[in-house]
Amino acid sequence: METPPKFDLPQGTLDLLILRVVALGPIHGYAIAQRIQMISKEALQIQQGSLYPALHRLENKNFLVAEWGPTETGREAKFYRLTAKGLTQLKIETESWERLTDVVATILKHPLGEPS
Amino acid sequence: MNWFQRLSKTGRMEKELDAELRFHFETQVADKVQAGFTEAEARRATRLEFGGIEQVKEDCRESRGTLWLASIAQDLRFGARILARSPGFSATAIVVLAMGIGVCTLAFSLYNIAALQPLPVRDPATLVRIQRRSPANINPGVPYASIAYYRDNAKSFSAVMATMGGTPLVLNQDEKRVSATFVSSNYFSELGATAATGRLFTAPRDNAASAPVCVLSFRLWQRKFDGDPSIVGKSIRLGGKPATVIGVAAETFASLGADDPDLWLPLLQHTYFVEGSKPLADPKFEGLIGMWGRLAPGVSRASAEQEMLALTNQLRKIYPTVIWDHEYIVITPGAHFLSFEGAPPVLPLVGLLVFLILAIACANLGGLLLARGAGREREIQLRFDLGARKMRVFRQLLTENLLLGFLGSIAALPLSYGVLRLVLVYSNAPSWMSALPDWRVCLFVTAMGFVAAVLFGLLPTVQTIYRKKDRSLWHQFVVCVQVGASCVLLILAGLLVRATLHTLYTDPGFGYEQVLAIDPGMAGHGFTSAQAQDYLERLQNRLRAVPGVTFVSIAWSPPLVNKTVSFTTIDVAGHRIMIYPNWVSPEFFQTMQIPLLRGRTFHEGEKNAVILSQSLARKRWPGEDPIGKQWEKSNDVVIGVVGNTRAMELNNTDATEMYYPPVAKDSSSMTVLVRAAGDPNTLTPAIKAIAGSIDTSLYPTITPLTAGFRKSVSRVEQIATIVSLLGSIAIFLAVVGLLGLVSYAVARRTKEIAIRRAFGANHTEIFSSVLRRFAWPVLIGLIAGVATTVALAQILRRMLYGISGLDPISYISAIAILLAILAAAALLPVRRAFRFDIARILHIE
Repeated sequence: METPPKFDLPQGTLDLLILRVVALGPIHGYAIAQRIQMISKEALQIQQGSLYPALHRLENKNFLVAEWGPTETGREAKFYRLTAKGLTQLKIETESWERLTDVVATILKHPLGEPS
Repeated sequence: MNWFQRLSKTGRMEKELDAELRFHFETQVADKVQAGFTEAEARRATRLEFGGIEQVKEDCRESRGTLWLASIAQDLRFGARILARSPGFSATAIVVLAMGIGVCTLAFSLYNIAALQPLPVRDPATLVRIQRRSPANINPGVPYASIAYYRDNAKSFSAVMATMGGTPLVLNQDEKRVSATFVSSNYFSELGATAATGRLFTAPRDNAASAPVCVLSFRLWQRKFDGDPSIVGKSIRLGGKPATVIGVAAETFASLGADDPDLWLPLLQHTYFVEGSKPLADPKFEGLIGMWGRLAPGVSRASAEQEMLALTNQLRKIYPTVIWDHEYIVITPGAHFLSFEGAPPVLPLVGLLVFLILAIACANLGGLLLARGAGREREIQLRFDLGARKMRVFRQLLTENLLLGFLGSIAALPLSYGVLRLVLVYSNAPSWMSALPDWRVCLFVTAMGFVAAVLFGLLPTVQTIYRKKDRSLWHQFVVCVQVGASCVLLILAGLLVRATLHTLYTDPGFGYEQVLAIDPGMAGHGFTSAQAQDYLERLQNRLRAVPGVTFVSIAWSPPLVNKTVSFTTIDVAGHRIMIYPNWVSPEFFQTMQIPLLRGRTFHEGEKNAVILSQSLARKRWPGEDPIGKQWEKSNDVVIGVVGNTRAMELNNTDATEMYYPPVAKDSSSMTVLVRAAGDPNTLTPAIKAIAGSIDTSLYPTITPLTAGFRKSVSRVEQIATIVSLLGSIAIFLAVVGLLGLVSYAVARRTKEIAIRRAFGANHTEIFSSVLRRFAWPVLIGLIAGVATTVALAQILRRMLYGISGLDPISYISAIAILLAILAAAALLPVRRAFRFDIARILHIE
């Protein structure tokens, strides 16, 4: 089985991804990891060691709230849900991420050896 | 959920965290099984992917932000277990700390009671003391005429109170006099005082015209009247004057200005109780009237001082002779037992001594921790091997130290409370003073524990963390601190003990044992000079006729029992000479058994003649005969030289004396001295009878000079006792510390000692090899200690009663004692090393 190329997420990006995924509806930790992996077409594998500390950090900042509830298989799991504060944070971070990537892209696309 | 809720729900959080991760794990396993793995394979693979589940948990806890709190709780639990596991070490450390902190806390508690705690009076914040100052004068008192003027004109004060102490009064026919304070009639009501029974003074009722009244203190009521409530309304005689008891002040009533009298009288009735006195009418009255005020709402002390300055300048126009040049009024907080404003340097001195004890105790703790750190090397190594971070282990060790400091503080509290109670009882402190620690003391004791643990636990802990094998530098520092501090305390104790002995056993230069001083107290009764002279004449003549009386004389300042001291200085060839002048009648020298060395004494009624003490004569005219010389720029001629005395200040050998004949205008301030052939106390009844028959308004105070002598010696004795006690604590702590350090040094070098012995080294060589490295720190400690003491002794000089601050005997004996004790403490553990079985030690290693 060929493992897809893995790369390190820039600092803070994981939080943004988690917020984005949780914004779709209440979801538990395992499903978050699965969904990120799926959407990224296996390019991103979220390690438990980063996922759970990040979830607890976001919960601590009141961006997420958690509730225990049954999964489709009937097991009890901890479901995370976005708060109003979390939604605002998601918008802010998405915007700044887009600006950042734009800027980075602009610089990278600039022809080499031609100082402006 | 705030951090507190989170912390309090730690148990539930832990369970949830575990369940959450377990769910993830199981789901992943289930997915893998669905994808075709066997159950066992799936589990194995998942476990590998997961990494350390405990590590994930730890990171989650950390990101939750309550980790530090939770881990401190954990550290504390662990620390407590570690301390409980080595009870010997813990007990030693706690006792050592408790003694150091306890001594500090005791000193602080005393300072707190005296200067920080407000008196238990109504609204202490607005209560102020009002005093006169000028560049040339300091006077705590204010003339009543000025008080009245300020009271009527100052807008800064909502009330003004006045208090005036006086000579103790005879109560009924008792031998023991009672102390009385005259107070303005608003005194009790302004302080918010309540009566234990009866009533207290009230402004409109108790005035100059109303019937004479008094308020008893709770103490006098209990002592003299057995707490009998029917005393209210009864009449007692004070200084022969009947007065009605109107009530008893509450037990906890706090009088102003460190004053704790037996009873209170209305100031407006002063003239009734002290016949002939006129403190209220005469603006030049010299008695001491204290002025107190209540600041009006919203008025600051500074603005009140401003207003008072303007009023003082107005007042100067009314009483030009009474108000000083550039006089101003200072206003200080009044609701404290003592104000240390402008206090002698005793306070920093006591602070320093007490701090030395704490330093020794802390150095000890440092030593103990270090020795223990060595014993825990394996434990700490194990923790590092298991992946603990440096910071984490450091925090754990620091928590242990803090726990020790805290336990030391807790143990110090009852210690200082117990001693403080004894001190308060022993010193007859006013009953409102409580030994119970207040918040300031609690805060202080906690801070001390914290400081002790952090300052002296830090370095050994850092050394333990970095696993430094060589701890000798810190060792040497600890030894240095301990030796230096013990040295200071021991030398000071030696100096003070020597000073006490010196005072007790050195001839003061005069015979005081068989002399009585009779102070008629004429000045307070408004005697004119002529009346006073007449009284003195008659009293002396009658006394001379009493059998058993050998000499009778008068003096302005009776030795040892003088109430006022006056001194002057002259400059001779650049040296300042301090002179105590006295005005005495011719027979004074025989009465006091002061030898006449040259010339003659005064003739009766002689003027313009002075007699010098030998020391003054020598300093003024070295190598010359002073007889017949003119004294400075006066008309006085030196007619005689007498022996030196330490009459005015037992503690000042630099002082010299000179004697003038009595001056008529001071007659009302003179004291009569009587020398008895036998026991002077047997003369007291006869003297009282004679005094009573000459003038019934006076109640002379009769004091044997031995009482004055005892009083001045007991003060030195007390100080010597306290410092000796501190010295003993210091030595005890230093010995414990050194024993520990040397034991540690020996324990670390057991093998080396065994090898040396196996090769035939003798005891002396081994002793010196172990102890050599302590030699330098001990020496440096001694030098630092001696240097500090020399500096301190300058402050103490006046307390040392004629012992030089550099007295070699005190220094040498203190150093010798210290070295002997240190040597004993050091040799003990080394000697133990000689009893070890060499073969076994070498085998073990």
